[in-house]
Amino acid sequence: MDVLGNLLSGFATALTPWYLLLALIGVTLGTLVGVLPGIGPALTVALLLPLTYNFDPTGALIMFAGIYYGGMYGGSTTSILLNTPGESASVATTLEGFQMAKAGRGGAALATAAIGSFVAGTISTLALSFVAPIIADFALLFQPADYFALTVSAFVCVTSLIGRSLLRGMVSLFIGLLIGLIGIDVLTGQPRFTFGLAELLDGLDIVVVAVGLFAVGEALYVAARLRHDKEEIIPVKGGVWMTRGEWRRSWLPWLRGAMIGFPFGALPAGGAEIPTFLSYSLEKRLSKHKAEWGRGAIEGVAGPEAANNAAFSGVLVPLLTLGLPTSATAAILLVAFQIYNLQPGPLLFLNSPELVWALIASLYIGNVMLLLLNLPLIRIWVKILAIPRSLLYAGILVFATLGVYSSANSVVDVLLMYAIGVLGFFMRRYDFPVGPTVLGVILMPLAEAQFRRALLISQGSLSVFFTRPLSLTIFIITALALILPYLPALLSKLRGEPAPMGRLVFGEGSED
Amino acid sequence: MKQDQPEQESFLGLRLLAICLLALSLIVLYYAFQIRQGAGYSVVGTLFFPLVVVIGLVVFSLLLLLRTTPLFPDHELGQRAAAEAATTHWATVGLIGLALLLYAFTLNLLGYVIATALFFPGVARILDSRQPLRDFIIGLVLSVVIYISFTRFLGVRLPAGLLAGIL
Repeated sequence: MDVLGNLLSGFATALTPWYLLLALIGVTLGTLVGVLPGIGPALTVALLLPLTYNFDPTGALIMFAGIYYGGMYGGSTTSILLNTPGESASVATTLEGFQMAKAGRGGAALATAAIGSFVAGTISTLALSFVAPIIADFALLFQPADYFALTVSAFVCVTSLIGRSLLRGMVSLFIGLLIGLIGIDVLTGQPRFTFGLAELLDGLDIVVVAVGLFAVGEALYVAARLRHDKEEIIPVKGGVWMTRGEWRRSWLPWLRGAMIGFPFGALPAGGAEIPTFLSYSLEKRLSKHKAEWGRGAIEGVAGPEAANNAAFSGVLVPLLTLGLPTSATAAILLVAFQIYNLQPGPLLFLNSPELVWALIASLYIGNVMLLLLNLPLIRIWVKILAIPRSLLYAGILVFATLGVYSSANSVVDVLLMYAIGVLGFFMRRYDFPVGPTVLGVILMPLAEAQFRRALLISQGSLSVFFTRPLSLTIFIITALALILPYLPALLSKLRGEPAPMGRLVFGEGSED
Repeated sequence: MKQDQPEQESFLGLRLLAICLLALSLIVLYYAFQIRQGAGYSVVGTLFFPLVVVIGLVVFSLLLLLRTTPLFPDHELGQRAAAEAATTHWATVGLIGLALLLYAFTLNLLGYVIATALFFPGVARILDSRQPLRDFIIGLVLSVVIYISFTRFLGVRLPAGLLAGIL
């Protein structure tokens, strides 16, 4: 009851013409930027952050939700037509989507992605509306030890479950942790790793890190291979609408994708990557058209795209209720909150209900707008793909610089961003997952503060982490996540069979 | 070409990367010991997490270095590195890096519009674009539109530089 009342008042705020206009601008710009190859939703949001500085908090966050949805949809367009996933959560989509495009069913692939995103987005936003207030109530009981356990679990999950090599994941994570430590120590006020730069006293902004890793790193990587790779753009042939049979094959994967995406997004385990791959393998196993897999099976687009979209609403659960961002996008959203002096966490629902519910309402609205905007305009968005890559990456570098420069008017920030871009280039080149770095940067300050607070309360006794049932449970689950990838190999060894492979891989981990 | 022989491995670049990581983490370790403990009471001091993280980084860089040596080679990674090495055009990467540095330093000096109008066609040229006039015009329009819309409508300040009196 309470939820419905709150939601209705949220809609009353979000449905005013001004906020509708902001949502529309957000969705359009998000799609426009997201369609550019190599730009995922996290980068889209980071690059468009300066646009929102001028608005009131509600307006800015509504625009943000639109930008995010647009960016995600735009990303699926490039995955399907260009085989260039803008982020790792879209990798699963490319597998079947690009094959569909090659077979002349690109239009249907784009349509199932759009409608699937809409269906899953609506279901998961509904779930968010009802789950978030409950968790926010529950989160009031959380103590520092529990928060610390949650951050550790996020570090371990993203490093152990994603990427091909645990060692490279760990290197990536620790680089992130180190960057996260830069700045003034929150508890004692001592500067750490600032190397005498005043710009570093406040720490390295996540926008600087994300734009550097994603935009500059990507641009350098493409530049290095430009003279070698030739890209192919698949024109959208045939109708952009789905046939009756394709509808029949899509709706169940949409629902299953939403069901997988939301809970995995809500767990502090690093966003949309794992659920998209899970959905992909589930659909492959359940499909009645096994022969089509690898040559363009529509289920392989419908499921992962739905899971991807649902996971975003899931990620908002820990962000809004615990103040715990678990993906790059969520971290940048957190920056947007902090610009307006809002601290997401259990108290946000109590202190600023009108803002939270307007944001949730605008997620529904953004979803509808995206569907209305994108299905008819698919052919126009596709034209953007024809921009020559030399101009495209020159433009990306211009916008990356603009995004970082305009947040603090500092050339030092820009130089730091370029330096992180060089790091991102080498990480991409040698297949280091970028996700752990981002998560390390975001969560290190939180992890350290909560660890020290917990020990302060327990007067220095480490037992506080293992005597509280909640933190103990989280630590046990974390340990399981660390073992899980090695389980198949271990089991077959126990049975005396030859090991099938080294370790399970739940995703590529190439980005975000 | 090299990608016809997938068994080809190359560890030189990786080894260099691991050595750089190791050297950097040792330097940072030195700096970590320079951090002063805060005056306020806390059970775990200012130094604890920096030490844990930096020592972790030293250990993992060492392990990474080990996996690029004949002792414990990571074959999969070595093959990937070889494939990358075969397709990398270092001159392009270097020139882009140089262009970025010049851009950052000319932003305040020349102003946003001029710096961007020069940077955009420059990068396009490095990325093998053959239409300098078109690129220049696009860059100029882009920079003017960004400058005016950001400073006039979005309340973001960008350096005017040489064009201070004109724009």
